[in-house]
Amino acid sequence: MKVCKGETYERVFVNEEVRLCIEQEAESHVKIHVINAPFSITVNQLGEGCQTEIYGLEHLRGEENVTAETHITHSVGGGRSKQLIKFVLDDNARGRFIGDLKIAQDAQQTEAHQTNRNLLLSETAEMRTQPQLEIYADDVKATHGASTGQLDESALFYMQQRGIDKQKARQLLVNAFMKDVIETISDQYSEIREQLLNAIDGVVE
Amino acid sequence: MKELLRIKDLHASIGGKEILKGVNLVINEGEVHAIMGPNGAGKSTLSAVLTGNPAYEVTSGEVYLKGENLLEMAPEVRARAGVFLSFQYPVEIPGVSMTNFMRTALNAKRAYEGKEPLSAKEFLTLMREKKKLLELPDKLNNRSVNEGFSGGEKKKNEIFQMAMLEPCLSILDETDSGLDIDALRIVAEGVNRLKTPQNASIVITHYQRLLDYIVPDFVHVLADGQIVKTGDKNLALELEEKGYEGL
Repeated sequence: MKVCKGETYERVFVNEEVRLCIEQEAESHVKIHVINAPFSITVNQLGEGCQTEIYGLEHLRGEENVTAETHITHSVGGGRSKQLIKFVLDDNARGRFIGDLKIAQDAQQTEAHQTNRNLLLSETAEMRTQPQLEIYADDVKATHGASTGQLDESALFYMQQRGIDKQKARQLLVNAFMKDVIETISDQYSEIREQLLNAIDGVVE
Repeated sequence: MKELLRIKDLHASIGGKEILKGVNLVINEGEVHAIMGPNGAGKSTLSAVLTGNPAYEVTSGEVYLKGENLLEMAPEVRARAGVFLSFQYPVEIPGVSMTNFMRTALNAKRAYEGKEPLSAKEFLTLMREKKKLLELPDKLNNRSVNEGFSGGEKKKNEIFQMAMLEPCLSILDETDSGLDIDALRIVAEGVNRLKTPQNASIVITHYQRLLDYIVPDFVHVLADGQIVKTGDKNLALELEEKGYEGL
């Protein structure tokens, strides 16, 4: 599909597998959230000044096996891309993130950020992360970070010391880990955003 | 006077290394006990063991809280039974708001006591009231637990949580470290105002300074895993003057 000049394509997919191949014309904006479903999203910024945002959140349990793929190409200059992909893996779940980011030689003054954070809740869960950056332009700002870790034991103990049982403490930490992805959903989809936040949290305001 | 805590010949280790080598201590309701001692004496180990930190192993000995076997309780049960630790290094928990954290903790304690959970309104009123005690800002509610707090704010936040949970036994682990004199005064005043004839505190500190504000009934010197000397508040002054080697 094509996102025409100056237009915005924004979608939130929940529990729905996503296969998208997008070409962006100048000054267009793509913002996609995928929650709890496999996805493969290919984006090519063909016009100048494009913006691409991809957010993924996967909370996997049991024998679930999910792959998230992004292929972003900055073909011309002045574009921006941001990716935040998080996996929470419990039981025997398997997760995989493939993140290709290419900045072509002509794509000067590109700003590209890719972040993949994963939380393993069991000894048998497994995460594979394959970020791949190809940068051919010299005047760019590009960052990428990938980390896979476990719940912070000192935070768990701190909460238990205040009377919160371990299971609930774990839940609070997992929810905190997931929350910032959901909070990036814009007001246009506020209903879904609040539903998702409520599903993971019982915040008092 | 009613006995609150009894520690009998407590031995504990971390990573196979014995740190506590037979601690004996009885604390009654209404008392403030200071525990002083050189680095590595086991002061923080004692607070970790009393609160059930899984990093430490109790190898022998007994601890009773109001006659109940404390060592058999899970850390959260000890907390609900009224053991509170003001951490030396309060942990930052990004993404968990103070409000959500505190409400979960308080309602867990209330459930343990057979009480109904507080409504959101009652809870927020209580938060506001207790925050005043520590001169903490209102915006605290929506901030993540300890995240981005200054050293002083973290320690005030510990005492604020203590005020919310109203423990029967508070352990203040180096609460004075990293505090400037104003923050120290606020924290100490908070602690003093929370004192009742039914609760007790253990104040762990390196320096006499904190004890100018929180006046102890007893001062114990912990050295190499044992309490080697017990006295009144004057012992702290003596230590300040002569050092631990002068004992």
